[in-house]
Amino acid sequence: MFSQASHNSRLAAVAPLAGSAGLSARVQELINDLRPDHADLLTALHRIQHEYGYVPPEAVPLLAGQFNTTPAIVFGTIDFYSEVRTAPPAEEVVEWCSGPACLLKGSLRIRRALEAELGCGMNEATGDGRWELRLVQCDGTCHLAPLLRHRGRYLGPLSTSEAIRFARALKGPAQAAPAPEPPGEPGT
Amino acid sequence: MSTYGELRRAADAAWAPLANPPRALIKVGVATCSRAVGAEETLAAVRAEVAARGLEADVMLTGCWGLCYAEPIVEIHPPQADRQAPVLYQRVTADKVPALLDQAFTGPGVSAEYTLAVVGEQGLAGVPPLAALDFFRIQVRRLMANCGVTDPENIDHYIARGGYEGLSKALTLGPERVIKELLDSGLWGRGGAAFPTGRKWDFLRGSARKPKYMICNADEGDPGSFVNRNLMESDPHLIVEGMIIGGLATEADYGYIYIRDEYPLPVARMRRAIEQAREKGLLGKDILGSGEAGPTGGGFAFDLEVVRGAGSYVCGEETGLIASLEDRRGMPKIRPPFPAQAGVFAQPSNVNNVESYANAPLVLRHGADWWSNVGSENHKGTKMFSLSGQVQRAGVLEAPLGTKMSDVVMVAGGGPPEGRRLKAVQPGGPLSGIIPASDVDIPLEPEPFRERGMFMGSGGLVVIDDSNCILDLCIYFEWFAEDESCGRCTTCFAGTRRMLEILRRISSGRGRAADLELIRLLGEIARNANCVHGQAAPTAVMSMFRFFDDELQEHLVRRRCPAKACRGLIRYEVARQSERLPLAEEICPTRAVVHENGSYRIDQEKCVRCDACREQAPYAIAVVDEFGP
Repeated sequence: MFSQASHNSRLAAVAPLAGSAGLSARVQELINDLRPDHADLLTALHRIQHEYGYVPPEAVPLLAGQFNTTPAIVFGTIDFYSEVRTAPPAEEVVEWCSGPACLLKGSLRIRRALEAELGCGMNEATGDGRWELRLVQCDGTCHLAPLLRHRGRYLGPLSTSEAIRFARALKGPAQAAPAPEPPGEPGT
Repeated sequence: MSTYGELRRAADAAWAPLANPPRALIKVGVATCSRAVGAEETLAAVRAEVAARGLEADVMLTGCWGLCYAEPIVEIHPPQADRQAPVLYQRVTADKVPALLDQAFTGPGVSAEYTLAVVGEQGLAGVPPLAALDFFRIQVRRLMANCGVTDPENIDHYIARGGYEGLSKALTLGPERVIKELLDSGLWGRGGAAFPTGRKWDFLRGSARKPKYMICNADEGDPGSFVNRNLMESDPHLIVEGMIIGGLATEADYGYIYIRDEYPLPVARMRRAIEQAREKGLLGKDILGSGEAGPTGGGFAFDLEVVRGAGSYVCGEETGLIASLEDRRGMPKIRPPFPAQAGVFAQPSNVNNVESYANAPLVLRHGADWWSNVGSENHKGTKMFSLSGQVQRAGVLEAPLGTKMSDVVMVAGGGPPEGRRLKAVQPGGPLSGIIPASDVDIPLEPEPFRERGMFMGSGGLVVIDDSNCILDLCIYFEWFAEDESCGRCTTCFAGTRRMLEILRRISSGRGRAADLELIRLLGEIARNANCVHGQAAPTAVMSMFRFFDDELQEHLVRRRCPAKACRGLIRYEVARQSERLPLAEEICPTRAVVHENGSYRIDQEKCVRCDACREQAPYAIAVVDEFGP
């Protein structure tokens, strides 16, 4: 284990990114009352993500300072959890449930249709940052399988056609899709 | 500090007008499953209508009965003068509230259109009593006694119905006798490993180092399992009380309730329950007036906190959960040391599942004899199960251990949809295996599953019917195991990936005869992984080998998917021209439905096999085997 002093000297080398003073001050404010060895890091990540929609890279050295550890350890932890984002979400995030009840009722067909219709793969956003497809885990609302979630609303049970129409409505009339290339390898 | 008697008297006064309402009472259940179909809007609509009409009625929020298939549910107690039992109404979305209130209050008194059941012994005007519903008649509701009945955000309701009586008794009994009572009851851990809870608590009690921690594993990560969620959001104090009793019995100082990120409502309700318990002197120092804790005082001090996870399945493994609490990557480690020796922050700790803790107050309140008067010969008590997948009634229920699986799946759940045949059941999580339909009568207790090389798991029954492909499902399970592997053991993170590659190869028609032997080898190797995640990752695939060999061979040898689910083995074709084909052309997301020279065809290069065209033109478009019949 590292001593307190060695931590701080390491941290000193990590300069805050330019133009991020306001963000850094706010992040520090959010995590000020949290302590190392009190199961608080997850709380810190949730608070920051709640504020910004993701955990900005500037937060990593601040978290390391607050939790007496190194930025590498903090980043490794952030990276481990699939619900902690390291990039801002797209304008519209369509959540696709990956659970077994949805699978048995045709969620993979919906996934392929949405990937084609929105023009982005799972856990990807379109180039213009407007839409994003996000894989989420089962939360036990299986009576609605197969389901999608959008802005906290549940949509289900959905046929593939309904999912396609939902995606088209999301895109709006101006965004008539040019037929995209079908994705290659089938992914679960 | 209040004694239990004082708390109880205050709570009784608060609950009495709701148990026997002097005027009409309308209860609306709000939990995750009902919220998803608009229960919050229903509650708001009920409140608005009651106010607008000037109805003599109270409105109250409750938890969830477990009847997911019938949500949102509204319960109406008529005014006492009517002497009529309360009635449950189903699928009451906000738009139906005015009609429901019309019929229930000004019309016939019962709204026939939405009735589900009568909450009481007798039926009423053709409406069956709740206990007579197929979903209910196999149930014994002990853990779920308050679910749908009380307001989960009101501690008085819990106390008035016997809550914290177990804790009060535990304080008189003292740690040794509390543990003895638990051992006598025969309660074992409900999280999957089935280890006796009393013995686990005794280990922690035997650890002299302080501080000691109680940890509640509420990281219900098994997709298709939602029993813990239902209990946390419908009766959170049952779990809080269980953990306090655990703290008392093991002389622990502090507790963590680790809830998965996907469960925001349980997080909110558990946090609220903890605050209320603290206000009532049930958490903190001098619990229930027991005096100051410490070397000189004999009092009891304990406190609790909720930690919200962030989306990692292996954090449901106890050492992974501990690592996550320690602000690190949630990677499981090798045991020993066991948590009782060195758990969170290297201090002695105890990790139990939500349902295990929730049973402790019942054992203490009613005694081990009462608690163990249901169940099978070797396994006492009840177990909660969730039902999902190809089943007519999805939901959460509670039945004695040893209940036949078919009673839960076919009676309570109603089996697969009309016209389909049961094929298999996934008993409890993606690592638990696949039970074939021929074995659906086995009792729900650990041994029958162990004999088949599977696990009973945590109670999430997912029902599979003949429209589903077992290989497709195994690919899902293996993908899940690979995706959620923490990355420590090569046997697990690389083994699951290799297994997934081979299964996908078979499902796309490129399988080789040698693949089966490779899978078997990977299945053997995986058993050397350090934690149960890697060890159990091949369980479903091994179940397929044992029980669904025909179907596997069909994919491998004849390159054919009997359920027509494997994308690489099917093709969509225009079988006959139809006036609905323009709709198919319109819906296709890849413009694969091509209209040329007055007829339609499908461009196989563009088709992603999403099935939308067939939904639009079911008689014109056919799914055929890619490699011939």
